[in-house]
Amino acid sequence: MAKIDDVKANVEAGKTKLVPGLVQDALNEGSAAADILQAMVDAMGVVGEKFSTGELFVPEMLIAAKAMAKGVEVLKPHMAGDASASLGTCIIGTVEGDLHDIGKNLVAMMIESAGFTVVDLGVDVSASKFVEAIKANENVRLVACSGLLSTTMPALKETVQTIKASGLTGFKVMVGGAPVTAQYAEAVGADAYAPDAGSAAVKAKELVTV
Amino acid sequence: MLTKRENLMETIKGGNPDRFVNQYEFLDIILEAPLKTSPKRGEIVTNEWGITFNWPDNQIGAFPVHDDKHRVLKDITRWKEVVKAPSVEYPDERWRAAIDHATSVDRRDRFVTAFVAPGIFEMTHHLMGMEDAMMNLYEEPDCMHELIDYLADYEIRYARQYIDRIHPDALFHHDDLGGQIASFLSPAMFKEFFLEPYRRVYGFWKDNGVELIVHHSDSYAANMVSFMIEMGIDIWQGVMTTNNTPDLIKQYGGQITFMGEVDSGKVDAPDWKPEIIAEHVRKACERCGKHYFIPCLTQGLHFSSFPGVYESATEAINRMSRESF
Repeated sequence: MAKIDDVKANVEAGKTKLVPGLVQDALNEGSAAADILQAMVDAMGVVGEKFSTGELFVPEMLIAAKAMAKGVEVLKPHMAGDASASLGTCIIGTVEGDLHDIGKNLVAMMIESAGFTVVDLGVDVSASKFVEAIKANENVRLVACSGLLSTTMPALKETVQTIKASGLTGFKVMVGGAPVTAQYAEAVGADAYAPDAGSAAVKAKELVTV
Repeated sequence: MLTKRENLMETIKGGNPDRFVNQYEFLDIILEAPLKTSPKRGEIVTNEWGITFNWPDNQIGAFPVHDDKHRVLKDITRWKEVVKAPSVEYPDERWRAAIDHATSVDRRDRFVTAFVAPGIFEMTHHLMGMEDAMMNLYEEPDCMHELIDYLADYEIRYARQYIDRIHPDALFHHDDLGGQIASFLSPAMFKEFFLEPYRRVYGFWKDNGVELIVHHSDSYAANMVSFMIEMGIDIWQGVMTTNNTPDLIKQYGGQITFMGEVDSGKVDAPDWKPEIIAEHVRKACERCGKHYFIPCLTQGLHFSSFPGVYESATEAINRMSRESF
């Protein structure tokens, strides 16, 4: 199916104006909506990998995600009611005391592109607000906590430990941000760590398919 | 003993410095000059460009506010209707404190230094938010070129006013080009949109008496160094350890000097310890050597976020100088 390959290539290239038409063409050609969606998810996987290796940068990642979002809009009527398409809900936020958002926004975008339903709590999010969000949303499989400043690392630790102590289950906790390391993530009790947005999406999928 | 200015010149020319240049000691930065309204801790202000900044009490700096109500530029294709550069014609009394400060500086010892912030790239995302600023480079490149040229023209108008009154020897110019592990833009994109405007701006300062351009970017930006040199930057301040600074010095020393390598994020905290700072300073000096390198906290300007950290770093660098020279 040539058109579905075109969809993938043009999402990777961030062709926001071309992708909607190509998605429609692929549907017209007989491709299943779920297959077209998977092609776009795969394209974002390539983008994420290239971002992690330094081949692509923030604008390329943003424009590819926008291209996918436009493609998904065309697919939506053909996927109505297909809840099995989602990998689950991801709650994401920057921890209390930290207003940095671009890194968290990139992670949210990549995790959504990977197939999760994302609930973005924003910045300066208290530990209790994370817990409330887990309770308030269905099928929470992942909670992602971001912190950019070394001064907000204590808040990151408190957030992870509050979530773990809440008694709520069924999800994993992932942390990230410039001062965060794999060792720190393990020390505070997180289930996973990712160094950048591309790796975060890969790790997110791993965590929910184990 | 060489003056601070002489020692700096020996360091950046690969000559015979008699000690490590100690952070910002060679720059006397004239912060009193009129520039733009900024919030103090705990304040929210809207500046002369219409950009709203919030500095919450529990933060170490201010952030632009980009919700729908506050974002200045929502549609880049209409930037001319919306973006209005403020006048640079300040009344004489606004310059008085800056002129008095500059007059008091011994220029044999230190560079009288102009300060400009934010830079051209930062202004694009202060006006429209980070995501739009970056996507518009792809989606509306012509409009972005126009806006960037408009911002560069504003900087040159401001520079003319500043130079006429203060006659600075150096410029300290802020523009973060990346995060800690990567630049925001690809080198190709930076070259296409920002290289020439910055060459114009820095060229103007240098054509009008400025000897030294110090560009602040506390980030990874190793992939931008060749452009920094083309733009006329003499010193890149804020170089983080993620850049492999010793390799950069080997490759570019003599064309540009690297100032930083003591990552503020690792040492500037409420519970800071002098021995930790000293350890980072020692590593920086031993890794990077005596030429084309200035040990310094990576944060912009000559102070730290938490009291005492800057001074502790200064003491540690002095100790390294006594050991090493």
